[in-house]
Amino acid sequence: MKKLVIIPAYNESESIKSTVEEIKKKAEGFDYVVINDCSKDDTQKICEENGYNIINLPINLGIGGAVQTGYRYGYRMGYDLAVQVDGDGQHDPEFLVKMADYLQEQHIDMVIGSRFIRKEGFQSSGARRIGIRYFTVLIKLLTGEKITDPTSGLRLVNREIMGMFANDYPKDYPEPESVVSVLRKKKKVAEIPVVMRERTGGVSSISLKKSVYYMIKVTLAIVIEWIRR
Amino acid sequence: MSLKTQIIIAVIIIAALLIIMNMVKKKALELRYALAWLVVGGCILILDFFPKLIEKLSALMGIYSPINMLFFWGFCFSLGIIFVLTVAVSRLSIRIKELAQELALYKHEE
Repeated sequence: MKKLVIIPAYNESESIKSTVEEIKKKAEGFDYVVINDCSKDDTQKICEENGYNIINLPINLGIGGAVQTGYRYGYRMGYDLAVQVDGDGQHDPEFLVKMADYLQEQHIDMVIGSRFIRKEGFQSSGARRIGIRYFTVLIKLLTGEKITDPTSGLRLVNREIMGMFANDYPKDYPEPESVVSVLRKKKKVAEIPVVMRERTGGVSSISLKKSVYYMIKVTLAIVIEWIRR
Repeated sequence: MSLKTQIIIAVIIIAALLIIMNMVKKKALELRYALAWLVVGGCILILDFFPKLIEKLSALMGIYSPINMLFFWGFCFSLGIIFVLTVAVSRLSIRIKELAQELALYKHEE
């Protein structure tokens, strides 16, 4: 069973080293690949100095394009499972083994690490939680499935979904939309409780200014994804 | 429309058509995108030579003022071109994304 951790990184020089080292230590049996989304800081230098497995994108593609590169890599290299762990230190790799075991034992296609099942650890700001709750309700209305943390970047997929994402993955703010595309194909999605931390470096890709665009764009994307059935 | 105006318009349009043809020749403009501009240039030229056509066309469409019909068609054409361009940009951005990903993966293999 070959397992891959995909670490999308854009200007994560402050946290990339600790992220990778923590994965090496805590995620037993997982390989990893850093996808450097054309960072302007020392992310590439730090990774190369430490001999990390890194793929450097020649132009900035945004989170979706970067993660998709990881899925393409994983699919081509014959991995059975792939999981996304953000380069900013929010995701604790401690949960990866548990997620992989759960996926295999329960025969699930996609396992999402959710911070809202046990409500432990960093819970995001109030406004963001309302936004996330809204997507939960929207997805429940459209697909009938309850996903408590549809914006979670910590998601583990099997080879079939990896191939699906390698071919087609949303460009920006991909998480809620891609969950719907998986559900639409009648694949099994489950969540397990995880504890997330506050980011140790970098800034969120979703600023207040962008959040209006985010809500509208993701809503439309989810609805369109649902109509495509 | 006076003969003078007709000649000025004809000269401008013919010059524009020549510039477009030259750009296509130099591969600065793809023929598929130039085609729309050439057709529009041709149409304006025809209307310029036969101004009565404008009046007949607007009467046919129930538009009282011929100039309004010209504005209307110009607006429709502009919207059409912009729409075709956004479609082209979408396609290009997908292709560029795929190229970038493939290049990154290829460089990684080496």
